[in-house]
Amino acid sequence: MLALESEGRVLHQTTSLCKVCKNALPANVVANDAGEVWMQKTCDEHGPQAVRLSTSADWYQRTRAIQQRRVAPRVVRHEVDHGCPFDCGPCANHTQKIRLPVVTITSACNLDCPICYVHNKNDDAFHMGTESFAQVLEHLARDHGGELDIVNLTGGEPTVHPHFLDFLAMARQAGVHRVTICTNGIRLAKDEGLVQRLAELGGRVALSFDSLEKDADEMLQGARLLDIKLRCLELLEKYGVDTTLIPVMTRGVNDHEIGKILAFAFERPNVRHIEVHTMTFTGQSGATFPRSGRISMLEVLERIEETTRGLLRVDDFVASPCAHPLCYQIAYLLVDPEGGAPIPFTRFMPAPELYAALSDRLYLEPTEKLERSMREAIDRLWAYGGVDSERTLSLLKRLLGLMFPCDRPLPSNEALRVAEQAVKAVYVHSHMDEETFDTERAADCCDSNCYADGSTIPVCNYNVLYREKEQHFNLTPRRWNDRKGGQRAFARLPIVAG
Amino acid sequence: MQPDDQPRAGSAHRRLEGKRCLVTGGSRGLGLALCRAFAEAGAKVAFTFSKNVEDAATAQRLVAEAGGEPLVFQGSVSDAKHVQDTVAQLVEAWGSIDVLVNNAGPTQILPVALLEEADWDSVMNTNVKGAYLFSRAVLKSMIRARRGHILNVGTFASERIVEAPIHYAAAKSALRGMTEALAREVGRYDIKVNLIAPGLLDVGLARILPRHRVDEYLAQCPMGRLGTVEEIARSVVFLVSDDNSFMTGAKLVFDGGL
Repeated sequence: MLALESEGRVLHQTTSLCKVCKNALPANVVANDAGEVWMQKTCDEHGPQAVRLSTSADWYQRTRAIQQRRVAPRVVRHEVDHGCPFDCGPCANHTQKIRLPVVTITSACNLDCPICYVHNKNDDAFHMGTESFAQVLEHLARDHGGELDIVNLTGGEPTVHPHFLDFLAMARQAGVHRVTICTNGIRLAKDEGLVQRLAELGGRVALSFDSLEKDADEMLQGARLLDIKLRCLELLEKYGVDTTLIPVMTRGVNDHEIGKILAFAFERPNVRHIEVHTMTFTGQSGATFPRSGRISMLEVLERIEETTRGLLRVDDFVASPCAHPLCYQIAYLLVDPEGGAPIPFTRFMPAPELYAALSDRLYLEPTEKLERSMREAIDRLWAYGGVDSERTLSLLKRLLGLMFPCDRPLPSNEALRVAEQAVKAVYVHSHMDEETFDTERAADCCDSNCYADGSTIPVCNYNVLYREKEQHFNLTPRRWNDRKGGQRAFARLPIVAG
Repeated sequence: MQPDDQPRAGSAHRRLEGKRCLVTGGSRGLGLALCRAFAEAGAKVAFTFSKNVEDAATAQRLVAEAGGEPLVFQGSVSDAKHVQDTVAQLVEAWGSIDVLVNNAGPTQILPVALLEEADWDSVMNTNVKGAYLFSRAVLKSMIRARRGHILNVGTFASERIVEAPIHYAAAKSALRGMTEALAREVGRYDIKVNLIAPGLLDVGLARILPRHRVDEYLAQCPMGRLGTVEEIARSVVFLVSDDNSFMTGAKLVFDGGL
């Protein structure tokens, strides 16, 4: 443990938030004698606060030092006034353009999960109008240079929006390749026709899937939903809907079963990605969830290594070049249709090459860099051999054969789909709450909630600060405009040598 | 009879009036475009295909709409029996064959590290052995008629140093050698043997390559665009018509000046 005030070796300084009043506070990020990383800060009103960010200072420093590929937003909608994170829109200081636009289409939800990290409202629920959604799409196309090919519809529970399929159709018609519905799966499990329609429209699903154990499921989602999730997955598989599973890792509740969840996902042909979130303590329920559940990014990676028995190791993950390196870690695996263990890309491609191949997008796409890296990987495997080289080469050859069949050329979008089916991705995404908030990470965020007027707010800032202000999502919206914090309004803490 | 004594060909529009043309691999892409162009130019058309019955049915309808109902044969061009049966049936139906286009050939994208013996054999068999078998089979009737055209479909990948699967480039290069040697051998019967080497076209490979590969090609191409099958077909109609009375053993590259 660490005392609340300046102890340990300072790794860097940043701006965080008070966990009580959410005013901006200067914070020191320090390493203690045990090699752990802690954030320390003191609020004049609410006293000293500390939270552990990582169990390894070495990993934290090494990861934080990775230089992401920063591309600033094309359109700035807010001048810097109070300082990060109070000027979102984005502000002129935001360093990263949007790679994952998120559109909150409803405040209504048919669950009340103990880990829910947003505020929802069922009475007098907000449902985004068609015109507003059309404006969001227009802004996404215009303000982002026409390059965004992904949009995430969320809520609440987006499937309770009366027109969510229309929104899906609109986005697809606007040329968005990946339109993902973030859902708990209840409506889909009960309505096969809905799944069929969703499949026909080319929609994708991101299904919250926290546990294969009923007790843990109930502890995290507030109900025993496993059978419903399995039914939902059965239908999604039946109609070939590309699916992402989203388990929220919570220490002592479900972190022991992450390997089982991954194995479960690897076996399902339509599950493309597994996006593991670390528990974050924001929103209507998450804010009061026991803090014993807090788990860091590295701990999740280590649990993955332990519980997959080394099938996926910590060093199989690379940071996302499009985001702050402490926010996203990504591993890609080649699927073996014969039932053999999937092969992480880093076993045949050096991590820096995978990192470089990811540099243009949040998802691995058939870019020139990836093609070059794959070709070099194939040559290396062939020339030097090594563990599993024969099987890897055989799987890569099979993949090429599927993408480029001899007897019938596939259009590039179909070839991309075939490639997606032969590969699984595991993302570990660490959201921030007011305790762990770090403006350095916020400024580099590439996931943003998008509004009809074109403004965008990074998702952690949105979840921690902005959503609770909105009438749409709260019967009694909070206020923080009378805060006294702000990045420019304080002096730095003294640095104490460790 | 000297060429000047031959009856003049009709208008360019009906350049192949009455000609009996066989195209291998005619169910899609360039092969299909050639079949349609031949039909529009007044020819009787037959084509072969290997696997995709649905594509073949569509092609059959399109060729019929372009001019006349084609004869369609399914089989592998590297299967000698299929070749002999196809040519025999055509000779029986038509009396002879005036034009053969050796177009069938798979595009298999593989780096050398993944290219196994079976892949090599398969591409060589289809592209080279298939062209040899069909050429030899039709030559009997062409020699008897003392006229004919054989057109081999190559690729710019055997003419330029570009990224291409080595077995594909090797097979297409072999076709060029075969074209020249065969032109020499059967020229005395007024049989013209030529080769076209298309660049990236708006069908086939260009539609499956990653966008950056197509962009790279276009950046190097003076014409700055992909070729169309129709513009290749227009030239081919001339090449296999009576209007081409003196060009043989030639290689025509259609790559926009790459």
